[in-house]
Amino acid sequence: MQIYLPIAELSVNLFFLVGIGGAVGFLSGLFGVGGGFLLTPLLIFSGVPTSVAVASVTGQVVAASTSGALSHYRRGGIDLHLAMYLILSGILGAFGGVAAFSILRANGQLDLVIAVGFVVLLGFVGTLMLQESVRAILKTRKGVVVRERLPNQHSWIHGLPWRVRFKKSRLYISVLPVLVIGLFIGFVGSLLGIGGGFVMVPALVYLLRVPGNVVIGTSLMQVVAMMAATTVMHAVQSQSVDILLAFCLMVGGTAGAQFGAAAGQHLRGEQLRGLLAILVLAVAIRFGLSLVMTPSDVYSMAVTSAVR
Amino acid sequence: MRRLVLLVLAFLLPVLPAGAERLISGISNDTIQITSSFSGERLTFFGTIAPEAGSTERTVDGPFDVVIAIVGPTQDRVAREKTNNFGIWLNTEQVEFKRFPSYFHVLSSRRLIEIADINLLNANFILPEAHAMIPNAAGFMKTLIFGRELIRLMSQDGLFGVQENGVQFLSDTFYSAQLTLPSSAPPGPYIAQTYLFKNGEIVARKSEGFAVRKIDFERFLAQSATQYPLFYGLACVVLALFTGWLGGVLFRR
Repeated sequence: MQIYLPIAELSVNLFFLVGIGGAVGFLSGLFGVGGGFLLTPLLIFSGVPTSVAVASVTGQVVAASTSGALSHYRRGGIDLHLAMYLILSGILGAFGGVAAFSILRANGQLDLVIAVGFVVLLGFVGTLMLQESVRAILKTRKGVVVRERLPNQHSWIHGLPWRVRFKKSRLYISVLPVLVIGLFIGFVGSLLGIGGGFVMVPALVYLLRVPGNVVIGTSLMQVVAMMAATTVMHAVQSQSVDILLAFCLMVGGTAGAQFGAAAGQHLRGEQLRGLLAILVLAVAIRFGLSLVMTPSDVYSMAVTSAVR
Repeated sequence: MRRLVLLVLAFLLPVLPAGAERLISGISNDTIQITSSFSGERLTFFGTIAPEAGSTERTVDGPFDVVIAIVGPTQDRVAREKTNNFGIWLNTEQVEFKRFPSYFHVLSSRRLIEIADINLLNANFILPEAHAMIPNAAGFMKTLIFGRELIRLMSQDGLFGVQENGVQFLSDTFYSAQLTLPSSAPPGPYIAQTYLFKNGEIVARKSEGFAVRKIDFERFLAQSATQYPLFYGLACVVLALFTGWLGGVLFRR
């Protein structure tokens, strides 16, 4: 069944949209990530204009993260104080990201920057995650008890000025790294159409030493608020949010996420992280290939003004 | 005074030759409505060739050729070329074509080259290439190359095309033509210009308009997105939050 997308101005198979929404939702539920980093590339590779794909997935990420954020909130798994700093700086970063998005789109370099962004970010994060999970898997094989780093092990990052006490995370740290992380994820997330959870969680754990019981909830909270703001900004600035496209993805995504979460309980943490790392690297490689392989057509076209 | 009348007549005569023809034509639909299940639409153009109104002739003698050029709303479009820089393919060159048709199809009863001279066709914007040959700030050669590539890309997407057997004559003077408008045809005003050719010259022309419009829900969404972007964005967010919350409630174990 074909459905006409009013902003993308093309008709797409409804079952295809709900299907990829569901498949990505399953994976996002399985790994506990928003899934934007999979959905945006899938839409781009299936012919949706890059700008519409990025802006609409932003809306989908909000939906995908909401149910998770709510359940963490009920369990008290969110450090609201820390989330507030991350959200405010994230929204500031998103302003920059959306502005850069518009400029790049006008110059014809949006696709390139998105591809390079995915290669660098996903390649880097994927490699780190893979290393870490392989090491953890090998250690458990050998029967070594993996000692988790304690939150009170400080590094130079904690010695920066403007220290604030985050009660729930049991941290007394400088706000500077918090704001930098928020700004960076806001900028990159709005530019690439990803929630950035898979960057945020490691950053909070390894850089700030946020304890495990609040890290996922706080990250989800930040993703919901920041991506909600980004959706509005994209709608105002580039007018490329396709609500129908986003809704189809949301429906598939929220349903798929529930099954993914159930399936995830049968796998061990480091195995899950290893699989996620492979997935992340695969997307990075796919984008990398699109940059270096001879394109099937060296010419492309784009519309630079509205219909008149 | 008589001299003046003669002078006027002398000017008028070549314009109104003895056996002048006119086109009586129509289109099957004057609006094409884009609904949520829009997947393209078929249009029929039809018409008959009759003697000029007020002419003493009762019949017209051919052979005639009919060419229909359908032009969609114009947009500014760029054609870009990727080149390999240090192993990475980048968009390096681009040429912008101002007010370029978003849709252009030509239907004809015979091969265009056999119907008329290429210069006449170009002068009347009957060939797709004519739309890319408008002088451009990028310079002649670049306009030529990028224009040709742009038309090729548009043709691949089904937005540009030439169907040289698109017009059928059902009798000596009655013709019909069919066009399938793809779902990617942008909304806006369209013009179908029908040309009547005889001996390689245009002897009559007629233009009709039709509109491709989003209606109902699609129209509402598209208008909200452009006219009230802030509310549209907020609505998206509310929808997302609600869907996420509902999903959590429905599937909670």
